[in-house]
Amino acid sequence: MTLWDIPAKKSGLISGLDNALLPAVTNRLLEMGLTDGQSVRCLRRSPMNGPVVVQIGDCVYTLEQSIADKVAVSSLS
Amino acid sequence: MFEQSSSVMKNIILVGKPNSGKSLLFNQLTGMRQKVANFPGVTVELKSGKFGEHTLIDFPGAYSLSTLSRDEEIAVEKIHEAMHDDNTGVIVCNLDATRLERSLVFGLQVRDLAKQHDKALVFALNMIDEVGRFSHQVDCDKLSEDLGAAVFPLSAKTLVGIHEFKLALNEVASQPEKYIPRQRVPDDDSVFNVSRRIAKQYGIHADIVLKQQNTIDSFLLNSVLGGVAFFSIMFVLFQSIFTWATPLMDGVESIIGWLAVAVTSVIGQGVINDFLQDAIFGGLGSFLVFVPQIMVLTLIIGLLEDSGYLARAALICHKPLSYFGLSGRSFIPYLSGHACAIPAIMAARTIESPRKRLITMMTIPLMSCSARLPVYALLIAVLIPNTTYLGGLLSLQGTAFFVLYFLGIVTALIVSVLLNKFTENDSDKAEMPFILELPNYRLPHWKPLILRVLTSAKQFIRRAGPVIFMVSVVIWFLGYFPSSEHDLQGSYLSMLGQWIEPVFEPLGLDWRYGVAILVSFLAREVFVGALGTLFGIEGADENIAGLAENIQADGLTLGAGLGLLIFYVIALQCVATVATLKGETGSKKIAWGLFAGYGLLAYTSAFIVSHIF
Repeated sequence: MTLWDIPAKKSGLISGLDNALLPAVTNRLLEMGLTDGQSVRCLRRSPMNGPVVVQIGDCVYTLEQSIADKVAVSSLS
Repeated sequence: MFEQSSSVMKNIILVGKPNSGKSLLFNQLTGMRQKVANFPGVTVELKSGKFGEHTLIDFPGAYSLSTLSRDEEIAVEKIHEAMHDDNTGVIVCNLDATRLERSLVFGLQVRDLAKQHDKALVFALNMIDEVGRFSHQVDCDKLSEDLGAAVFPLSAKTLVGIHEFKLALNEVASQPEKYIPRQRVPDDDSVFNVSRRIAKQYGIHADIVLKQQNTIDSFLLNSVLGGVAFFSIMFVLFQSIFTWATPLMDGVESIIGWLAVAVTSVIGQGVINDFLQDAIFGGLGSFLVFVPQIMVLTLIIGLLEDSGYLARAALICHKPLSYFGLSGRSFIPYLSGHACAIPAIMAARTIESPRKRLITMMTIPLMSCSARLPVYALLIAVLIPNTTYLGGLLSLQGTAFFVLYFLGIVTALIVSVLLNKFTENDSDKAEMPFILELPNYRLPHWKPLILRVLTSAKQFIRRAGPVIFMVSVVIWFLGYFPSSEHDLQGSYLSMLGQWIEPVFEPLGLDWRYGVAILVSFLAREVFVGALGTLFGIEGADENIAGLAENIQADGLTLGAGLGLLIFYVIALQCVATVATLKGETGSKKIAWGLFAGYGLLAYTSAFIVSHIF
């Protein structure tokens, strides 16, 4: 399951980043807090598969599908 | 107290993550006098100001020392440069107390770099008032110990701790060697882990701080209410550019007119008088009129950005714009483009994807900038009857205005799609994803806003002024000589116009329109004044209705007129924009290629339209 698949108002734990991501993008995601074991909550989804809004650590980010579906997530709650 | 040691007078640099209250701290430390250098744009600028006898330099915000977008690249390059620079005395790293973990990731990277280069570093723990509101206390002495560098709690907004910080900063600057960080992240640990650990120990719980933000977002990002809010805000923005800025623009116009009279009445009649009157006051004056409009636009965009809404607007627009190969971040440059393409092209720097950034910059000139407004107004008055429907609610002329703006946007989107299809997709650097932090909603502070507005005006004048001045002088010369009466009819310009008449003939336009189009390369709105002179009407700028009647009587056909309108929607008739494009894309070929390409497209479209109607 990926960050893109979390339904709104649900949380999970980040379990890894896809190797297909560019190194620069992987770095940025890590710096933004998308590290293994970090808890993440989907705050809302946009119409027409627009970017998702997620809370990761102490920040709120918006990510588009092409990147959200490359972030693995586990233990949905 | 302060000896004139070598450490005095050195530079203090201010760094930090974006949206962390860094700019406001800078303003509070330096006061209202500051210089902006090197990198103009919405968020990409290097500001410097005086802090006592030191120079304080505000670096652009960055999430980390590895970079994703062009503006952050500049920020990081500059940080590395500053570390190697002997003139750098102290580094102040701004932390957001409400988002300690995130700001520490960057903060710790900078701290380690400072330690490596033996530079003094202190942390400013900003927005302490916001965590205080939730009665959260940060033990700064212990935090200083854990970070191996001094930490000063403060709020740039409520001014809590600012006085103490100023005193401390003077002390640090006089003895920098005592403030070199004592710690760095151990090799067997990572910046992320350390940040998380420290944030957990000292920071406020995220859910408490984010509660307000998430509540507001549930309205502003709601599929229905959010859309209504978005369009209302855009409507107010357009109103402000086109109606509220008008009195200011009139004011500038009358000041220039008054100056022109004052200066030219001192000098006797003659060439110099005519030159000052027409080339300097006329040419440069018609360009300065746009300064208030750009200031109003900057103010509103600044309000939206500082309040946190602009990030939401980019989010809302991302999906629709991505169908055309653009990013949600293209929205802001496009919006600014409706006032003037020059600041808009500079604002495109915040787009991470180099490819999307280029496409955005290349299509901005198609947004109907305010210089086209007088041209639209004149031609609409000539061609479209002043009929109203629904008891005056809907007017045919107003609708025509809307259609022209819409046409510009649609053309830009079509060109974007084409550019996307036909330019190479060099896979490695091309596709940077859309990632954006949604900052907390805040009431904007007036200080940075006012400074930003003033800077925008200064930069617009500095960018476009020299070019406009040169073209002004050349066109004036061509229009003034060699006829003994110095009228436009007998000038080089009209000879040129008659000579190029065959070019405009297929569009159903005679040489007078040709000349007016030629001179409008100076600035589009000059078209109106030039046409006025050619039709023998003085002060056509103020008397558009009179000129419109004349043109109507002269018999401009509907087809030719509509073609001319389309021509003005599409053509890149602005030397200052071409110069800016050249500077920002770093390519002469792209800038002049666009000039030629849009010119050709404009001409062809005008030709087709003039033959349909």
